[in-house]
Amino acid sequence: MIDENEVSAARERLAEKQAELLHALLANGPAPAGFDEQRLGVEKRALLSKRRGIVRVLGPAVADELGDRFRPLFDAYAVEHPRRAGSRAREDAAAFAEWCRAAGELPTHRKARWKFWRSH
Amino acid sequence: MTTPATGRGPRLSPEQLGYLAAGPGRAAETALARLIDRGLVRVSRDGLVTAVHRDGQGAATGVERSVLEHVRTAVRFGTVVETAAHDSEMRLLRTLLVSLGLMRLPRRRSASWWVYLVVAALLAVLGIAVPALLIGTVFFVLVSLRLLGRNALTTAGKEELARAAASDRVLAVALHGFRGEVAGTPVGDLFELPRSVVRTIQLKKDRKSTSDGAGAAVSSCSSCGSGCGSSGSSCSSGGSSCGGGGGCGGGGGGD
Amino acid sequence: MAGIAELGVGIGWRPEIDLTVERLPGVDFVEVVAENLHAGHLPESVVLLRERGIPVLPHAVSLSLGGAEPVDLGRVEHLGEVAEAVGAPMVSDHVCFVRAGGLDSGHLMPVPRTRDALDVLVANVKLAQRNLPVPLALENVAALLEWPDGELSEGEFLAELVERTDCWLLVDVANLYANARNIGTDPERFLDEIPLERLAYVHVAGGVDHGDVYHDTHAHAVLPEVLGVLGELCSRVTPPGVLLERDDNYPSDAEIASELAAIRAVVTGRQG
Repeated sequence: MIDENEVSAARERLAEKQAELLHALLANGPAPAGFDEQRLGVEKRALLSKRRGIVRVLGPAVADELGDRFRPLFDAYAVEHPRRAGSRAREDAAAFAEWCRAAGELPTHRKARWKFWRSH
Repeated sequence: MTTPATGRGPRLSPEQLGYLAAGPGRAAETALARLIDRGLVRVSRDGLVTAVHRDGQGAATGVERSVLEHVRTAVRFGTVVETAAHDSEMRLLRTLLVSLGLMRLPRRRSASWWVYLVVAALLAVLGIAVPALLIGTVFFVLVSLRLLGRNALTTAGKEELARAAASDRVLAVALHGFRGEVAGTPVGDLFELPRSVVRTIQLKKDRKSTSDGAGAAVSSCSSCGSGCGSSGSSCSSGGSSCGGGGGCGGGGGGD
Repeated sequence: MAGIAELGVGIGWRPEIDLTVERLPGVDFVEVVAENLHAGHLPESVVLLRERGIPVLPHAVSLSLGGAEPVDLGRVEHLGEVAEAVGAPMVSDHVCFVRAGGLDSGHLMPVPRTRDALDVLVANVKLAQRNLPVPLALENVAALLEWPDGELSEGEFLAELVERTDCWLLVDVANLYANARNIGTDPERFLDEIPLERLAYVHVAGGVDHGDVYHDTHAHAVLPEVLGVLGELCSRVTPPGVLLERDDNYPSDAEIASELAAIRAVVTGRQG
């Protein structure tokens, strides 16, 4: 039987390692020691690609409107705004659209106009 | 998409007949119907439409190509129809029908019928003081009705439509829409579509002797989005199992 | 603990292919992504499958049992509710973490194969088990990178996890193949090391090569090599169930049916 204190100590050591890895993969943090740099790059791109694909599915109108700009814009947004634990994919898609509007990449009045039409 | 004639003139495709019958919305429904008929898209119980092949294979018309492109990831049934109805391919379809002498350009029918109606109303008000003006009221009402009633279809177009029969389920959609009926059977049932899915298409009357050629049978579900669930799970983050990586699949690399 | 029920050949139920799943011949059981379901209002299709007597197994992706942070009991409770709503004999999640340092990876991340990680995983699994109404099975994940300083092989790591928690194993042969390709895991050694008597069922999925890396996408056809790993597993044990996972780019009903048939052929072929 492992005692409680040993587990909490293990948790702390593990937490540090896992946080360091996610920070490197999602938020351009420094590469943790001992990892293959090339593989870190592969994993980083795979996670980004998956997240981008989900946001595209959840917000097809935004993706369509951005066209070829969707990918570079999303990739820039993603590294600035890594997904927070507990956040939802829909929130991610909404935050990306908002980020695009703030950056002037999407028209800002669109939403309000839709509401007007849809109120009928 | 015209095949060799069996009767008078070229036989029209279901999509073209759909356009003649009820405008771009109906043509969009017909394109979707043919894609379902050929197993090129699948529809879920909740009305999520997804393409079976990603490369758009099997599309017979520009509208169908555009639909297949749109539903590479799941899109709601009504939204598919609405989007296709507004697609630029629809203008090409209308241009073709006009060039075949089956339709008139909508502009010729003049959108200004209501202007004449307003003039008539004004004259009616003035007619209280000067009753002679009421003759003008009658005149302008008649002009307005004539403009409004002018059919988008030419005589040839009406003949084509009259000759068409709902001999298969795709033609049934073209002539009556997913929400229509053929011999007492709801057309949606021919595709085994749940009623709730079919109802996402806005009901549109068939074109009779007078109707508006530019009107689209479009759904009002413009903001339904993809309809994919998203629950904030984290394996796949969205938890959304649709598209882009639900479940536990990987991101597909750096593509 | 009693042995797991015979499940047969199954497929992952997904909203886009609900009618396909209902129509396909030879679907003995299905799996649902627990996070996408609400116990209070199950999809009509899932209810219908239940009425037909098809077992529905909730599969979770967000417990982060390999994570250093304490288990989120709200997520465990949700999984349990879904399990009860669909009358599931068992639930599952992965040997992985998805949250750390306040971030969400968005995908199943491998845990370091160290004593520390194992101790934390065991504590987390035990807590989850205590809060679940049915047995828990844990699945091996596909890794694109290898943690440094591993003290155990993946098989040894899972074997000890089973020994200490009495959990079941959900072996994903596509992940096993992916790890063989990407980080040099030996599938045969893995199968030798894990306690096959604790095998609940097996996952099979498709993937694609990007350069020299194999991506377990669940959006492409199942490779013959993956069926080869399934055959290897079946030569050692008759799996209680084998399930095809497809999450995107859904092919025609006929193609899905033929993938299920290919899986069944491997399973029954070995049974002779």
